[in-house]
Amino acid sequence: MSESLEKLQTRILSDAKHKAEETIKDAQAKSQQILEDAKQRAQRESEEIIAKANVEAESIRRSILSSKVRVNRLRILDEKNRIVQDIIHGVEDRLSSISKSEQFEETAQRFVTEAVKAVDSDHPVVRIGFRDVSKRNLDGISRVFPKGGKLVIDEKPIDDLGGVVATDPEGRVVFNNTFKSRLERLDNQLLTLISSTVFGG
Amino acid sequence: MSGIDAVKKIVETEAQARRIVDEASAKAQQIISESREQAERIRQEAIARAQQQREEILREAKSKAEAEALQSDKETEQVLNSYRKLSEERKSAAVSKAVELILNA
Repeated sequence: MSESLEKLQTRILSDAKHKAEETIKDAQAKSQQILEDAKQRAQRESEEIIAKANVEAESIRRSILSSKVRVNRLRILDEKNRIVQDIIHGVEDRLSSISKSEQFEETAQRFVTEAVKAVDSDHPVVRIGFRDVSKRNLDGISRVFPKGGKLVIDEKPIDDLGGVVATDPEGRVVFNNTFKSRLERLDNQLLTLISSTVFGG
Repeated sequence: MSGIDAVKKIVETEAQARRIVDEASAKAQQIISESREQAERIRQEAIARAQQQREEILREAKSKAEAEALQSDKETEQVLNSYRKLSEERKSAAVSKAVELILNA
């Protein structure tokens, strides 16, 4: 009886120890799996962070460069514009002082002829005004001026730079042939000409 | 040994066995709990390292882009200087051609 009881006790304890060992073994295996999963997850998350950082870095790089390129393009455009405007001022200066040049009489006659033709009236009224020009300088105009027309000579240059304005007697048809309006009419050609002369292409 | 004593012995042994199993179970819980904590530490450390790398990547990208931007500034300055030089050389010709256009167009 005593011997079989001892065996039973030993067996109970042996089963318990076996079960305990199995429990610990399972826990260790699970622990190993948890750590392995954690390492893989950490690796995956790290790779995602780095991949996103690379995309973000490229975006930052592009943003900095495109912003700089934009600013520099504007600087170049501003400089070109400044140069063109400087030349246009030179052109205006030259035009406003045309009365001192040999071209003046021929130019004034041509401007009057163009304006009279544009108004297409038997009795055109023509105003003419250039800087530093008096009646004496405009004798040649009478040769191209129609007999029924009226010539008004302004002492001051018309539209600041000078030129000719023709109307019909009622003032319904007006043709502005001043330097300023010619500059405006020829704006595109003028800019192209200046640009190609200075910058080429 | 009487029957009662035998039963007592068995009961004690079973209690001892239960303790062994319970202790193992508690230890197993502790092992898993510790490994979960260690797993979280591993994750946090890896993320922290990745974040540092991220900061470094961004810093390098910014610094590299700023260097490239400086190069763009230099190139722009060269273009501006060449325009200014061209303007000085060709301004007179451009004015003459423009005046001719306005007078004769």
